[in-house]
Amino acid sequence: MYGLTRYKLFFLLPGLIVLLAIILFPLVFTIRVSFSGWDAMTPGLGWIGGNNYGRLLADGRFWQSLGRLGMIASTAVALEYALGFALALLVWRQIRFRRVVRVLFLIPMMTTPVVMAVIWRTIFHESLGPVNDFVALFGIPPVQWLTSPEWATFVVILVDVWQWTPFMFLLLLAGLLSLPREPLLAAAIDGAGPIRAFLNVTFPAMAPISVGAIIIRLIEASKIMETVYVVTSGGPGTSTETSSYYIFIRGLRDFQIGYAAALSITYLVIMIVLLTIIAKVLTKTLVKAEG
Amino acid sequence: MTYRINNLCVRQGTETHLDGITLDLPLSGVVTVMGRTLAGKTTLLKVLAGLQAPDSGTLERDGRNLLAIPAWRRRVGMVYQQFVNYPHLSVRENIVFPLKRAGLSADAIARKLGYVTELLGLGELLRRRPAELSGGQQQRVALARSLVKDTEFLLLDEPLVSLDYKLREQLRDELRRIFRDGGDRLVVYATTDPLEAMIMQGQVILLHEGKVVQAGDCRDVYRRPANTTAATIFSDPPMNLVKGEIADGHLRIGVGVGSDVPLHFRDLPRGAYLFGIRASDVELGGSGIGARVALAEINGSTTVLHLELPFGDMVLLMEGVHPHAIGDQVALNLPPSRFFAFDADSQNLVAAPPVD
Amino acid sequence: MRAFYLLLKVAAILVWSAFVIAPFLWALTTSFKTANGVTGGPTYIPWVDYQPSLAAWQGLFGSGAGSIDIVGPFISSVMVTLSASLVSLVLGTLAAYGLSRFSYKAGPVGNSDLTFFFVSQRIMPPVVLAIPFFLMLGWLGLLDTVLGLIIVYVALLLPIAVWVMVDFFNTIPKELDETAMIDGCTPIEAFWRVILPNAVPGLVVAGIFCIIFGWNDFFFAFTLTFTQTQLLPVAIVSLNSSVTPWWSLSASALISVTPLIVVAFLVERYLDKGSIGGRK
Repeated sequence: MYGLTRYKLFFLLPGLIVLLAIILFPLVFTIRVSFSGWDAMTPGLGWIGGNNYGRLLADGRFWQSLGRLGMIASTAVALEYALGFALALLVWRQIRFRRVVRVLFLIPMMTTPVVMAVIWRTIFHESLGPVNDFVALFGIPPVQWLTSPEWATFVVILVDVWQWTPFMFLLLLAGLLSLPREPLLAAAIDGAGPIRAFLNVTFPAMAPISVGAIIIRLIEASKIMETVYVVTSGGPGTSTETSSYYIFIRGLRDFQIGYAAALSITYLVIMIVLLTIIAKVLTKTLVKAEG
Repeated sequence: MTYRINNLCVRQGTETHLDGITLDLPLSGVVTVMGRTLAGKTTLLKVLAGLQAPDSGTLERDGRNLLAIPAWRRRVGMVYQQFVNYPHLSVRENIVFPLKRAGLSADAIARKLGYVTELLGLGELLRRRPAELSGGQQQRVALARSLVKDTEFLLLDEPLVSLDYKLREQLRDELRRIFRDGGDRLVVYATTDPLEAMIMQGQVILLHEGKVVQAGDCRDVYRRPANTTAATIFSDPPMNLVKGEIADGHLRIGVGVGSDVPLHFRDLPRGAYLFGIRASDVELGGSGIGARVALAEINGSTTVLHLELPFGDMVLLMEGVHPHAIGDQVALNLPPSRFFAFDADSQNLVAAPPVD
Repeated sequence: MRAFYLLLKVAAILVWSAFVIAPFLWALTTSFKTANGVTGGPTYIPWVDYQPSLAAWQGLFGSGAGSIDIVGPFISSVMVTLSASLVSLVLGTLAAYGLSRFSYKAGPVGNSDLTFFFVSQRIMPPVVLAIPFFLMLGWLGLLDTVLGLIIVYVALLLPIAVWVMVDFFNTIPKELDETAMIDGCTPIEAFWRVILPNAVPGLVVAGIFCIIFGWNDFFFAFTLTFTQTQLLPVAIVSLNSSVTPWWSLSASALISVTPLIVVAFLVERYLDKGSIGGRK
């Protein structure tokens, strides 16, 4: 109205155009590249049809990396949620405590993941790191933290938990603080113990924010690769290799650009579909009261 | 020399906010827009202000198309029911904000600031921030900001509804005083409260579901509501409506309750009607229709009884404080001389009680 | 029973705090070691377990044997992070205001779709973008430059700015803009004179988030720069070879994470305002 259109566009367009230029073009381009045989020997957009996608279907290493990513991401996020919730419940009522503890708990989230991963790697070093020194106190022989597949996976998850539990803590604490007091009071008057009050009142009320926090974390965790790169380099063998890391190796190490593009697109589609399904299922099962 | 509104429609999605509004408004004076919540009052005001574009229809002032003029050049003031002030500015800066935007000289600004500050008694508050003021003070600041500038019309959207009772009465009287010597601007005052409309006087426009139900001088509309909808909107508590009939020289409502046909119903043909009586016209005692008190409220100096009668519910309003317990049996007198008669089918007014 | 409960609580908080702080303490003590303090197995307490030295710290700033240039990468990191955050904040705030206040319609695309388009970019795994970014910057001649990284980081940070600011603007009543317009402001003036001054807490939160994500990115800096331009995380990780000088690594790591930890302390109070908690 009244020439409002030009004002509307003044606000929206700059950001939209920039984002379209920086994101949408690369995405479309990647799709095109995924149908080419672009590699170090023959760079260019030479059309090879769906060959890359055919190759990908038979690529066991890719599918294994997806399964591994699913395992690492879901374990890490589940742990972060449980720990973050527990910590939030711990400091929820302590007003004086809360501020100090909150900043302290916040710190890991503010640190550069890859830099901390470097530190973690020294901590879990088999002969020179403090962790094996510590377990030796209990008479446990040195553990091959970074060179056995199981322990390497454990370390990757632990580093992620250290880094991102604060995020869960922060969101869930904010959620707890915004809860109305009346239902809890009512539960207390009805004689419900703390555990029952939590299960019947607090937890259901926190369901929406829980779902939100879990989804955000799953999205971020599904991209995990930097920690892997620094801590284990995907090893030993390919035992901690996640999808992002595998695509990175194929694309920017082996320079199989076309194939990596096909992997990227497939990975992206699978992620979007899976995350959408997970979001729907979580919302349905957790947020019953509103359904 | 009028504002001419023609067939104004505003829709949002599946909702219709204004549904073909056609009105002529004077260039000065007070026009009260009445209607329940969501009747379209706010939307109408926003269209007048230029904050909302209508989907169709025209708005002209002396043949000049106002819809082509954006809000920031329309020379209008608006006061909301929420107290809207600029939180980051002091009261003084709030009030002079529109003047500075209009590029007035420092002299003129000081003069106008002095005038409204005096008018609304804001002298002591000029340095404060809006957040440090009470609701009534905040609304005064908002009012000052809309009065300080040179406007063609002033829109007030239920400006008193968020204030407590006492402040509301006080500010209402101030508003009436300000509007009376308010020069040649048109004031459009939206409210749900018939009392405010009566106090503002001037023209009243009754809105219901986005349509104009009735428009005219407020006393005329009060005396002769065009139909049951108008009657309900323009009386608080809403007018009582009961089914009845006129037959064989008798007026009957319910079973066994009746009287002679009152004078002003003489010319009505026999048949079924909807009779209306204002809550303030229902009396206790008298001939004694039995009723049970379902709810008794005391609002300030008036008492409101919600009553259950054999043929329906009724509301009674009387001056003074008269305690009643729920479940009390009372006897009612419904003076037929105060009855309105509406057509049973069209619900349009067919006869109204004479003016005293 | 009550005391036991409290004890349990305090114990749990202490254990988690120890877990949070442990890597920093380890890095701190390591940064004062020399090769002797590292290669003989883990040592902890200076003067008791090992002889502390400032060599690692001096090596970060000075020159000479074993020195590592951290100043250059630090400055590059600051430049890239602040520039990209600023651009994202400006563009994101404008777009967020538009999305919050006006209704856009282009065929079937409406406001919520546009907002989703902005925010959904966070789902994109960096690796998917890395290859086209690599080629794109190559064509533009911006590989291995600060400017190239800034462009890429804007793409990463813009969604965050839009996400935070749309939510924030939605909490500012629309009547405020309307009043400004009635008082003679065009929409742009209303935004500039009335809305922006009242949006400072939101801008702070959005800015902090941009800075966190910009400062902490490694992957794009790693894949899109080589020798001319080096950001801090890349410089640090490049020390992470088989013969890692742990002391330099630790000292530079501490330098890299300190700025944001300081920020964490400064902005803690803004987190109270529900600016990141209210959303679902």
